Amino acid sequence: MSPLIQCPTCRAWLLEGVFNRPDLTPCRSCGTPLQVEVFPALFRKILPGQSAQAVLVEGESSCFYHPQKKAVVPCAGCGRFLCALCDCELNGQHFCPACLETGKSKGKIKTLENQRTRYDTIALGLAILPVLIFYLTIVTAPMTLFVAIRYWNAPQSIVRRTRFRFILAIVIALLQIGGWTAFFILIATSK
Amino acid sequence: MAEPKYQRLTRERTPARFAVASIARSSLWLGDDHLLFVECTGYTETYKRFYFRDIQALTIRKTITRAVWNWIAGSLAAVCALAVFGSWRADGLDSGMAIFFSIVLLFFAILLALNNLSGATCACQIRTAVQTEELPSLCRLRQTRRVLDKIRPLIVAAQGQLTAEEVSARMLETIQAENPTEPPEPASPGSAPPVIS
Repeated sequence: MSPLIQCPTCRAWLLEGVFNRPDLTPCRSCGTPLQVEVFPALFRKILPGQSAQAVLVEGESSCFYHPQKKAVVPCAGCGRFLCALCDCELNGQHFCPACLETGKSKGKIKTLENQRTRYDTIALGLAILPVLIFYLTIVTAPMTLFVAIRYWNAPQSIVRRTRFRFILAIVIALLQIGGWTAFFILIATSK
Repeated sequence: MAEPKYQRLTRERTPARFAVASIARSSLWLGDDHLLFVECTGYTETYKRFYFRDIQALTIRKTITRAVWNWIAGSLAAVCALAVFGSWRADGLDSGMAIFFSIVLLFFAILLALNNLSGATCACQIRTAVQTEELPSLCRLRQTRRVLDKIRPLIVAAQGQLTAEEVSARMLETIQAENPTEPPEPASPGSAPPVIS
């Protein structure tokens, strides 16, 4: 990506006058008030990828995936030797492509995790939303209990880590089940 | 592995600028070495991490959203005030219509006051080597500056600092290094970008 920055409004290239100023400064082209904070990473050169070197000396450690290539680093996940081509660096750690893929799919590498399902919100939604059509709660209340218990230990949101929604959903579901039980007992006893 | 702890930087906001009710919400959180951008779409959360060492630029642009909301809320409040006045003239202040329009008027007046108390609106973009991402939760200038004051020292600690003059000089340097025979063109809308490989 080019180290030049465009005005978000008029797409003109910003060359000077608006960078790292304490206040908003109008864009020279369109006059939109802008404040652009630029950091040294903008001018950092992206190094070209390394090519793997061939094993020259007999007995030299070689890559697990490319036996004819020289190993440069062990994988932090599985410990296999990797050549420069197979070495995937992530936050200072070196992984092989297989471990990277496994780490992402199984959520073992937390920094690669980019999505989570909020089972607590699902349980709460199941408990609250059907109240609008009350008869649905006879089905959704047990479903709420199932979801809350089944996913009680499932990974929660990265940023909010309370089980309040689960507890609230369980309480509401128990009340609904209690209500239905009382209703059926009342019908049975009145006959 | 223990999960990292995050500190809330912004409350959840809808990505659409003029949306009143939307399921999708986004918020910004501060981690040890990165900013976490959380997009919540109902029952799933999507995360984007911006490491302090990778953040290239933050762009804040003042927007007219506050003025637009002022016009909308102000116009509706004025209509309600007229309706209250009309009902009062016709049936007196204790009529049902007057009470109803007074409540609606109060709602729009509160909306108007809150919109102005929150300060000027803005749009914020964060740029890394691979993407430029809009941060919808940073929509008020005062709040954006507060967040920026909090994260700037962390980015500076990870990368170092550049003054305004250094940035301009390095940008001109980059352009001249790529096109040594051509002087840099002045910025103009729609013009072709300087050639940078």
